[in-house]
Amino acid sequence: MAVWTYRWRPPARAATAGAVLALAAGPAVLAAPAAVAPAPTSVAPAPTGGQDQGENLYRQNCASCHGDQGQGGPRGPSLIGVGAASVDFQVGTGRMPIPHEMQQPRRGEPAFSADEIAALVEHVTSFGGGGPAIPQVEPGSLPTGRELFAANCAPCHGGTGAGTELTNGWIAPPLYEATPVQVAEAIRVGPGLMPVFPSQVFTDQQVNDLTAYVQSLRSERLDRGGNPLGRLGPLAEGLVAWAVALGLLVAAARWLGRGAGE
Amino acid sequence: MIMDRLARALDDRLRLSPLTRRALAKVFPDHWSFMLGEIALYSLVALVLTGVFLTLFFDPSSADRVYHGSYAPLEGTTTSAAYASTMRLSWDVRAGLLIRQTHHWAALIFVAAILVHLVRIFFTGAFRKPREANWLVGVTMLMLALANGFTGYSMPDDLLSGLGLRIIVSVVESIPVVGSRLVSLGLGGEFPSDEMIPRLFVTHVLLVPAALVALVSVHLAMIVRQKHTQFPGPGRTEHNVVGSRLYPSYSLRSLALLAWVLAVLFALGGLVQINPVWLYGPFDPAQATSPAQPDWYVAWGDGALRLFPPWEIRLAGHLVPAPFFPGVVLGGVTFLALYAWPFLERWCTGDRRAHQLLDRPRDHPIRTGVGVTALTFFAVLVVAAGDDIIARLLRVPVYDVLNVLRVMVLVLPLLTGALAVLLARALRRSEATHLGDLTRADLRAARRPARADERTTADEPELPAPDRPGERIELWPDGEQWRWRYRNEPAGVAILGNRKAPTEREAADSARLAYPGVDHVMVPGPPPPPPHPVRAALRRWATTAIGASLLAAALRHRRRRRWGRNGPRPK
Ligand code: HEC
Ligand code: HEC
Ligand code: HEM
Repeated sequence: MAVWTYRWRPPARAATAGAVLALAAGPAVLAAPAAVAPAPTSVAPAPTGGQDQGENLYRQNCASCHGDQGQGGPRGPSLIGVGAASVDFQVGTGRMPIPHEMQQPRRGEPAFSADEIAALVEHVTSFGGGGPAIPQVEPGSLPTGRELFAANCAPCHGGTGAGTELTNGWIAPPLYEATPVQVAEAIRVGPGLMPVFPSQVFTDQQVNDLTAYVQSLRSERLDRGGNPLGRLGPLAEGLVAWAVALGLLVAAARWLGRGAGE
Repeated sequence: MIMDRLARALDDRLRLSPLTRRALAKVFPDHWSFMLGEIALYSLVALVLTGVFLTLFFDPSSADRVYHGSYAPLEGTTTSAAYASTMRLSWDVRAGLLIRQTHHWAALIFVAAILVHLVRIFFTGAFRKPREANWLVGVTMLMLALANGFTGYSMPDDLLSGLGLRIIVSVVESIPVVGSRLVSLGLGGEFPSDEMIPRLFVTHVLLVPAALVALVSVHLAMIVRQKHTQFPGPGRTEHNVVGSRLYPSYSLRSLALLAWVLAVLFALGGLVQINPVWLYGPFDPAQATSPAQPDWYVAWGDGALRLFPPWEIRLAGHLVPAPFFPGVVLGGVTFLALYAWPFLERWCTGDRRAHQLLDRPRDHPIRTGVGVTALTFFAVLVVAAGDDIIARLLRVPVYDVLNVLRVMVLVLPLLTGALAVLLARALRRSEATHLGDLTRADLRAARRPARADERTTADEPELPAPDRPGERIELWPDGEQWRWRYRNEPAGVAILGNRKAPTEREAADSARLAYPGVDHVMVPGPPPPPPHPVRAALRRWATTAIGASLLAAALRHRRRRRWGRNGPRPK
């Protein structure tokens, strides 16, 4: 299969009335690395092993909100029993650690390397309570995946996977950046407002099918026909019809009219 | 030579030459805004051409089909035949997607061009007597265009358009007493009925296009019969039309526009994706997708449905379903108002005279204000149809967006309308020719309503001016025949009468008709010839061709653009 990936470029980042974004996204994007940067001088000797490294990272970056033993606190929920999949998803998609409380943690560059994430996962699961493990993703069937997606995911993420607003400023994000494992994790964990789809609802094979379909949505092959306009649908198309096409044609008419012997 | 013979043979039998000579000499005004309607006309041409191609492959049936084709995620899925054939068109028919997309883009631009054309007619008062009938024809065509766009959009039976169809059905159902009966009459059953797609198809490819083509013919015939309006200017009176002849200048210009329209439509069809039905999936009454919008030209109705508060309104003891007011009433009132406008205006102003000269928007501040108000209102409604997209992009609750828009839809139109009235008045009273030339004093003065004397001068019928200095009609013999031209030396205008007359008397009569009261003088021979019309037209045509290829090149390779512009120009 072709490995072209469709990267979601926020189509109107610039136009989205900067104020709201600057207020909400600005601090998250800018502050995340700063808050995360593990002070290397004081805790330098971390690399010794999984357990120690995980514990240190957890103490420095997570404990302030989730509590020393993951028992939770006023600033963050309990992590006991959330499962390896949840930790891997939250940290791997860059949602955690969040620099400060916000309504909906955003996707971003992960703050840690793969090894560090593995160590964190190990540490958090050591709090006990079970929970979903990190799924193993295998190849799935696209047609089944498409049907499951249309029935279960499209109402929130949109048939095109472009995402939409849910309620009160919560959004179901676009699905163009999640890796296969992250998709499977999201299905099993149900981050934020997303419902959990446990194994009673979807078998592992169905999760694989869904994952395969979500991955295919990223592919530029589906943008057969040209620029997808952010896959935002008819209104974006209408905007192009007016601003580009009609604009050009009216300009052409003016030009032709001026050429006439007036 | 063959053409010559053919023409002569036809003429012998059908006596075409007097007709053609008259038709070819018909004069069109040169102002660019007279070509807006042609953009719509040529989009219709593109729609018919591409639509015929689509009809060859589209299967208008809701029977089950198992899809087999290049689109892997749908392989082996059972869908309606309509959806399966649309998928085949998009993925497996050669050039199918290009034509399908071009058809859809043409539909968007068709309606947009009609609207812009209508706006031009409205703001310049071109609908006034004697052209009210053509205004009615135009509004009907707009309505048919909307209907055909909607039926076409719904035919592929994909999830997104199915949601739209369901909404329309619920709007019709909301009509008290007759609603549900209308629906079952129209669909031949409950909402996703088997009859639905075949009926949409017949409406879309036969009934409405036939009606449209018939009305277009009536529309054009009326224009030929009544002649064009024109903007006032030196040498232009209520009795003449100043511009280019149909052949060769105007027809070449118009052909160039046709080339432009086709170029832009096919460029969009090939470069910008529209309505990717494979992503939306086949329609299933149990499924939904979001964000969901209709095409822009019906989005105002959708926006109104979203903005209208969820009130329970009772009429005569019956609960009126929510979609009735924003759906049925708004749509009905909109088109009624459009139909009634020429008569409303005549009733309000008491102006019953026939008009061949156009208003500039400033000449009629109230009409301009009303127009701007209406346009703003509908623009806000269209934006409201995108409430979910706005909410996602801004990350604000959709209810906040709706509430802001609810206020805006009531306040903004009044503000822009008042502003338009103010600017129109200021422009009319001051020396300014453009908005940019207005001074603050002009604006302040415009706050007062017009004085009575001002009002009358603006609308005063144009009087023949027997002693306007510098104006005259020149007549001269041209072989066996006579020609004349109007000349206004101070204004630097010279306008050639477009037809020769067999006698001096007839030439003088036709000059008097166009310029009553202007003195006639006899001159020995024709004035020095203007640049040869064919050559001038050829040059224009060549520049146009360069322009069109430039556009194509610019879309593909931006870099070539500079080269093209500096390239040699044919003489
Ligand atoms: C500023 C406080 C804060 C910090 C620091 C923080 N979190 Fe969180 N975390 C939260 C909040 C608040 C939520 C709930 C988010 C939501 O509702 O989606 C959460 C949710 C989670 C969840 C999902 C819980 C569930 O119920 O599914 C996991 C897993 C998690 N955090 C892991 C971490 C890890 C690992 C770190 C350190 C790398 C971390 N968090 C740092 C505040 C924080
Ligand atoms: C009720 C609405 C809802 C439904 C149904 C839903 N999701 Fe989600 N989904 C969400 C929300 C909300 C988030 C964001 C959570 C957060 O940011 O904490 C999300 C996040 C995700 C992400 C992570 C995206 C990223 O880039 O980080 C994936 C992947 C995902 N969903 C896949 C699915 C799939 C697959 C299904 C169908 C089986 C599905 N979702 C169904 C609401 C939904
Ligand atoms: C008069 C103006 C017309 C308008 C506004 C219009 C509009 C549309 C639209 C919006 C679609 C949906 C396209 C899509 O799937 O993306 C469509 C589909 C279609 N149209 Fe038209 N159309 C017009 C005239 C015609 C004519 C004259 C024909 C045939 C002679 C035609 C044949 C078709 C067919 C067969 C389809 C379905 C194929 C498909 O959806 O891919 N249309 N039309």
